[in-house]
Amino acid sequence: MINGLTVPVTFNILSNMKKSILYLIILLGLAACSSGGSGSEETKKVAVVISTLNNPWFVVLAESAAENARELGYEAKIFDSQNNPATESDNFENLIASGFDAILFNPTDADGSIVNIMKAKAAEVPVFCMDREVNADDAATSQILSDNYSGCVEIGIEFVKALDGRGKYVELLGLVGDNNTWARSGGFHSVVDEFPGLEMVAQQSADFDRNRAMEVMETILQAQPDIDAVFCGNDAMAMGAYQALQGAGKADAVKVFGFDGAADVIEKIGEGKIVATGMQYPKVMARTAAEYAHEYFNGRREFPQRVPVEVELVDAGNVDQYQE
Amino acid sequence: MKPYQYGLLFLAFLLLGYNSVYFEKLSDRQAGAEADFDYGAYADSLYYQGMLQEVAAVELATLLADIRNDADAAFKNYGNRLGIGNSAYFMVKGSGVITGITEDAIRLQAAGVGDVGINTRYIFGNALRDASGLVKLTDFKTNAEFNRVSEALNALVRTKVMPPLIDALETGDSIAVVGAVKLSKKALDDPALMITPAQIIPQ
Repeated sequence: MINGLTVPVTFNILSNMKKSILYLIILLGLAACSSGGSGSEETKKVAVVISTLNNPWFVVLAESAAENARELGYEAKIFDSQNNPATESDNFENLIASGFDAILFNPTDADGSIVNIMKAKAAEVPVFCMDREVNADDAATSQILSDNYSGCVEIGIEFVKALDGRGKYVELLGLVGDNNTWARSGGFHSVVDEFPGLEMVAQQSADFDRNRAMEVMETILQAQPDIDAVFCGNDAMAMGAYQALQGAGKADAVKVFGFDGAADVIEKIGEGKIVATGMQYPKVMARTAAEYAHEYFNGRREFPQRVPVEVELVDAGNVDQYQE
Repeated sequence: MKPYQYGLLFLAFLLLGYNSVYFEKLSDRQAGAEADFDYGAYADSLYYQGMLQEVAAVELATLLADIRNDADAAFKNYGNRLGIGNSAYFMVKGSGVITGITEDAIRLQAAGVGDVGINTRYIFGNALRDASGLVKLTDFKTNAEFNRVSEALNALVRTKVMPPLIDALETGDSIAVVGAVKLSKKALDDPALMITPAQIIPQ
């Protein structure tokens, strides 16, 4: 009897334990599913908003930023603002509504882009500017920027030496609403303007665009055929200006200076066809911005407002260090 | 309407048109927007009260020896790098005998170092500002404003401080120099030493 009693009791206990274990397994399974579900929801989303993807330099910046964000474990999507503040504004509204958690941002306009950053800030979405500065120190979480001014001071010194302090020159500016345009022009003129033998006969915007630079240069050459040099605010414009000079048969007589460190200009410096450029590091800026976003997600809240990234002068004397 | 009234109307139109349209350089317009702060006065104070009195310069020979021993530590101890990059600015001092004077630079045979250049023509950029460590990036709202500090400081040194000192120097003179030097970790084997001078003191 004892055994007779014991067996059903034991059976019942074992049966209850099995049920409990089964429930426990089911619960754990559900919890795992639930955890997995919320885990995928918790995967942070990083937006990379770029002024334009119509320029290879910005494509490198955008893709590097997205790649770094993915390597850090986040979803990343690139938005192209097409150099249009209105498109940029739409991008910001869309990505905020879509629940992006951070923005790696290359602005279209130093003033016009501030309102977009403020929208993100109001939605508690941190914004890390890359390469282009906005005229506010309380909008973006941090701004990682090429030291355009210092880079162009060095180009300015190289320019004066190459021309021996005398001659007529043209300046092709980038986008007039972009601080980089003025930082580069300012650094260059902080040197060149101190040499009265150098006369700027034309200063015109070509929007950082190669084709536009070629057209602008062709027009300028009609009015100013006897120039000695051209300073361009980026390498795309330097290539456009060089093409125009080639077309006019003046490529050997006119010294061309660029800025960016683009591969085609580095090659031209190696061939002695372009005098100098400033090597920027878009991948360093992109990586730093992505790492800052990562640190923000991990709780960091204090960031330097502006982080300058060194620009290095590339000329015939050191071009071999930069050729791939 | 009578003919003279048409004439008056045309003149008024010309006058209005003339006063409505003007041309100026894009760069001048940009510079005009930042013209409120007295950068000249700030640079004067930075140079005379800050740079000449507060900034400690490292002996160039000591810096070079320390770099040979442990470059990272030397850059950290003596250098100033704003942001990210391979180079840093150092405030250095040294002394020696002038071996040559050109339009661009003074060549100096510096004690314990060897041949060193003192840049007398191209005093531009952020070398003095950054080597001094006296101005923070966050002291100014934008990079453009921050860079104008350098321009004012350079202008003071280049046009007021240096010319009378340099004019009095000749090859063979002994001098001491205090100034900024830029060194890059990418080129430390045989760095071309060019000092942007803050002070030149005849010995």
